[in-house]
Amino acid sequence: MEVTFKVYRKDPEKDGKPGRSNYTIDIPEDATVLDGLLKIRDEIDSTLAFRASCLRGYCGDCLVRVSGRARLSCVAKVTAFTQKAPEISLDPLRIVPVIKDLVFDWDAFMWNKIRAVQPWLEPKEPASDGENLIPDAAMKDLRKVMSCYYCGMCDEGCTVLPVDFNFLGPAALTKAYRFAFDPRGKETRERLKILEEPKGIWDCVHCYEADEHCPRGIEPTKRIIALRDLAFKLGITNEKVARHHKSFAASVKESGWLDEGRLAIESEGLTNIKGLMKLLPIAARAMARGKAPIPYLHPKRPGADKIKKIFEKGEQETK
Amino acid sequence: MQEFDVLVIGGGASGLRAAIAAKHAGAKVALITKIHPLRTNSGLAQGGLNAPLGKGDSPESFAEDTLLAGDGLCDRDVVRTFAAEASKEIIWLERMGVPFNRNGEGRIDLRPFGSNSKSRTCYTDDRTGHIVLQVLHEQAQRAEIPSLEEWFVTSLVADGNSCAGAIALSLRSGKLDSFSARAVILATGGFTRLYLPSTVSLGTTGDGQSLAYSAGARLMDMEMTQFHPTVFPRNPALLITEAALSEGAVMVNQKGEPIRLAKGLSREKICLSIHNAMQNGGGSVSLDLRPIGKDKLLSRFPQTHELVRGLAGLDITKEPIPIRPVAHRSVGGIETNATGETSLPGLFAVGECACNGLNGAGRLAGNTLTEAVVFGRKVGDAAAKYAKTASKKSFPSAKLSDEEKAITALVSGSSSGGDSSGKIHADLGRLMSEKVGLIREQAGLQEALDRIHRLKQRYRALRVRNTSRIYNYELTTYLELGSMLTLAEIVAQAALGRTESRGAHQRADFPQKDDRNWRNHTLVSLVQEEPRWDQKPVAG
Amino acid sequence: MKYAFYPGCVSRGGCPELYPSAVKVSAKLDIELEELKDVGCTGAGVLPQYLSDPINARTFAKAEAMGLPIMTICSTCQGVMSQANYRLKADPEYRTKINKEYLSEEGLEYKGTTEVKHLLWVLFEDYGIERLKSLLRKPLKGLRVSPFYGCYIRRPPEAITPTKELNRRKNYLDELIEILGAELADISGKGKCCGFPILTANEENSLAMVGKHTGEAKEKGADFMVTPCPLCHLNLDGNQPRAEAQEGKEIGLPILHLPQFLGLALGFDPGEMNLKRHIVSTQPVESKVSMLT
Repeated sequence: MEVTFKVYRKDPEKDGKPGRSNYTIDIPEDATVLDGLLKIRDEIDSTLAFRASCLRGYCGDCLVRVSGRARLSCVAKVTAFTQKAPEISLDPLRIVPVIKDLVFDWDAFMWNKIRAVQPWLEPKEPASDGENLIPDAAMKDLRKVMSCYYCGMCDEGCTVLPVDFNFLGPAALTKAYRFAFDPRGKETRERLKILEEPKGIWDCVHCYEADEHCPRGIEPTKRIIALRDLAFKLGITNEKVARHHKSFAASVKESGWLDEGRLAIESEGLTNIKGLMKLLPIAARAMARGKAPIPYLHPKRPGADKIKKIFEKGEQETK
Repeated sequence: MQEFDVLVIGGGASGLRAAIAAKHAGAKVALITKIHPLRTNSGLAQGGLNAPLGKGDSPESFAEDTLLAGDGLCDRDVVRTFAAEASKEIIWLERMGVPFNRNGEGRIDLRPFGSNSKSRTCYTDDRTGHIVLQVLHEQAQRAEIPSLEEWFVTSLVADGNSCAGAIALSLRSGKLDSFSARAVILATGGFTRLYLPSTVSLGTTGDGQSLAYSAGARLMDMEMTQFHPTVFPRNPALLITEAALSEGAVMVNQKGEPIRLAKGLSREKICLSIHNAMQNGGGSVSLDLRPIGKDKLLSRFPQTHELVRGLAGLDITKEPIPIRPVAHRSVGGIETNATGETSLPGLFAVGECACNGLNGAGRLAGNTLTEAVVFGRKVGDAAAKYAKTASKKSFPSAKLSDEEKAITALVSGSSSGGDSSGKIHADLGRLMSEKVGLIREQAGLQEALDRIHRLKQRYRALRVRNTSRIYNYELTTYLELGSMLTLAEIVAQAALGRTESRGAHQRADFPQKDDRNWRNHTLVSLVQEEPRWDQKPVAG
Repeated sequence: MKYAFYPGCVSRGGCPELYPSAVKVSAKLDIELEELKDVGCTGAGVLPQYLSDPINARTFAKAEAMGLPIMTICSTCQGVMSQANYRLKADPEYRTKINKEYLSEEGLEYKGTTEVKHLLWVLFEDYGIERLKSLLRKPLKGLRVSPFYGCYIRRPPEAITPTKELNRRKNYLDELIEILGAELADISGKGKCCGFPILTANEENSLAMVGKHTGEAKEKGADFMVTPCPLCHLNLDGNQPRAEAQEGKEIGLPILHLPQFLGLALGFDPGEMNLKRHIVSTQPVESKVSMLT
């Protein structure tokens, strides 16, 4: 069948401006996008740059956007994208620095961020000469996380990265999960401290886009939430977040529901004059509209004592 | 120029393990690799890695199975060392974070696999290579080993009669640079891309074997390439781990009749059974995984399930999958001893690119990754030790400019009359599969040699049209094809020379094993621009 | 048609205009609401699961005892409760544990039968679009409206869109805009995060998101944006002036709550829907609506 590949081009050795080349090629019905790209590079335009390695969906190297959607070109069938017209478009990911054509900067996109979470186990001192004795259930969860082939689709789907490219992103944070929850590692608290730095777990908006984008069902968002819950349990070290969470929890614990006015003030910190001043115009605007909740005059809900009990019990159990 | 004690070329499991070991031994180490370590061919290994950890198992039994699979060409001492050290390395991997599947006691579970006589294959579902590779990469980062990624090594550099480093091209910057090292470790993987289809990644093109050969080091038993029996034969082929057979899958012929296999057959024997069934019945053979049971299939073979569905449109829980033997692993390679020393001082080799006497004429299923970690450590240690005692080498500075000129001459920008690296490779891959494949015979091998010569002529007429230097994949593909053509001729010649059938080398015209004449290794090296063929008897 | 009504904290706290407009609109539609008073905050994704799951199980048990499904008017409440409910329904052992450890003391037990539905889902799945159409008094002709869902009413899939059929939930708001006679001003970020959850941790990013989504709607010619999530509203409306300052652009996009939007089409006047309470002036919307017949 004849299909036209419309491919994003950029040549750093020429003017470096983005453009597009169209190649019409004859490929078999069951051809993958990579089959087509390899044919183009070999027979039509040898300057075309794109990456590929494993050829069969194991490794993630060949991630491109095929007609808008992030896909591994080696397992994406061309016919899945040509129902309407015999053409497909190929582009690099949306939020990455492009080096040449479809080759983008994986270091900036993902590897450097993974490196930043100190992606290795610091093993505990072994109790014996043999292997660690661990139930398979604990290992199964880690195997699931490690089925990640670093394709970056979670980062491509992330809500935060388009507004802040320096956010560590779901791929790196999911990598961090694998160490924080490995019973063989020794420094969970230290690790969480790194993850709680700005651009880390607390910058995640837990929008679940990553879970929808992950082709392996690893559920990166849930991994990040698990890291946050663990931080909550062990004591949050990010001061701002700690204040916010403490206030939120205290408010629900004491009254059954949320005191938003109090939350806003306590999140900034009661002694943080500059932060509190910043709240003033917001409060003033809200007050003028008759909508600012009045802090600390927050009526208890009926049944609040029952909620408090749940808190006390939950807090007890996690100790 | 950058200077190191030990330069490791290749970012797969062997290279990472060697780099970690050399670093722990106190050497200044760098890793240089043409693709990111997590994208290397090691990640494709599925079934597991062997270690004699089971209660009724022993290093002796493990050694025995390895020797049997090697079909008389193994070096016994190397095999014994390997079998004795395997468990320690697997425990190390476990400690460093490999989440091996566990048994009810919480110990590493051992699956039956291939022709191992005991259950001794440690595994992480069907993603063992991918996960072991990650842990090695993690530990390499923990050891703060600099990793030069997307650097393509174009040549090894010698100082007199010893290896002094390498010259490499950065894909990203397009610039050549020189790397001086007291010891160089090649860990570049196999050359199975000589064959199409094959089970390997795009870059498994025998770069290391070709670099070593060009630098004067000896290659050994190059006629030995293992085919894998249970492969869905599209191009690229999709391997279904042999663990499926051990866990209950059955092979059926076109009529749906089961093909009975004796227990514990080697890969080579299973390949031949399939081959015969296809010849006799004139039809296809399929692998029926359904007897394993749906739950176990989904929990233990999740990746196989996903990829077969994605690429073949077939569901392993519902239907049999067509299979045939496909080229899988290089068994021959750069001749080394147990600590990875090649015939060229200062040059070491480890893993699939090396041939150290462990695998003989055929590799035991599940030994590849164990080999990578056991010998990765040993060779890393040995190279670090060598680097400590070796005197500082002088790196001939003219080499860099010579290489620059050579590359510039290649990149002419002019067209090559419609021919291309891809076309030559396609012809080579088909030729190798047909004439130098699972079954060989004299006339076919001679024809193959003739045709390889013609392919080489076509190659010499070829020019690289792409004149840019940044991510010039036409250039790297061209260089890889050069390596493959060099090796193809050696493989065909070695296969022609070995007039017997043994392990991975099966001759239709010499169907018997000939221990009297052929308990010998085939050796070849480049002497004054010509191959010199030689033999050496099997040690032990 | 009757629901156990879970209004959520914000509908009476930070967005006090939401609660009364939801109550009025429901009455107009003849949807009977019995408010759940003796229940706690869902946790809003801030409280850890080990605290929020028992609190939510308690809420579900109370509704179960009333024999009613729960209706929410907040994407976040909906999402957090859907996720908790998914876990409690899917894993009877877990449910038993929560019942035993947290609810039994009060004499409560959650059997796993409560449905939790946002007003938006109620309209499509229980109430019926034809019935809704028959009640429209003032189709919003000529108004261009951008949808903004709030993450938790779209994801995660196992809790929110567990079947192919229910995948349609991702499009309800788009559909509703056209059902109410308005024009859809589609935006790429309609299913993304508004930035509210990181207002404390990273205000700059949070405001950048506000600027991005409201700015895009403005560029697409929207008269206003409608959201079923009061937390999104807090950020998209309440922090829009700060987002304008940070991003250095004027936006001025009114943000309406879902019940307010419904209310206008049902013939309520803007005053009854408390539009004056918003931070970004709704004056242009009000005058356009007043021109409609």
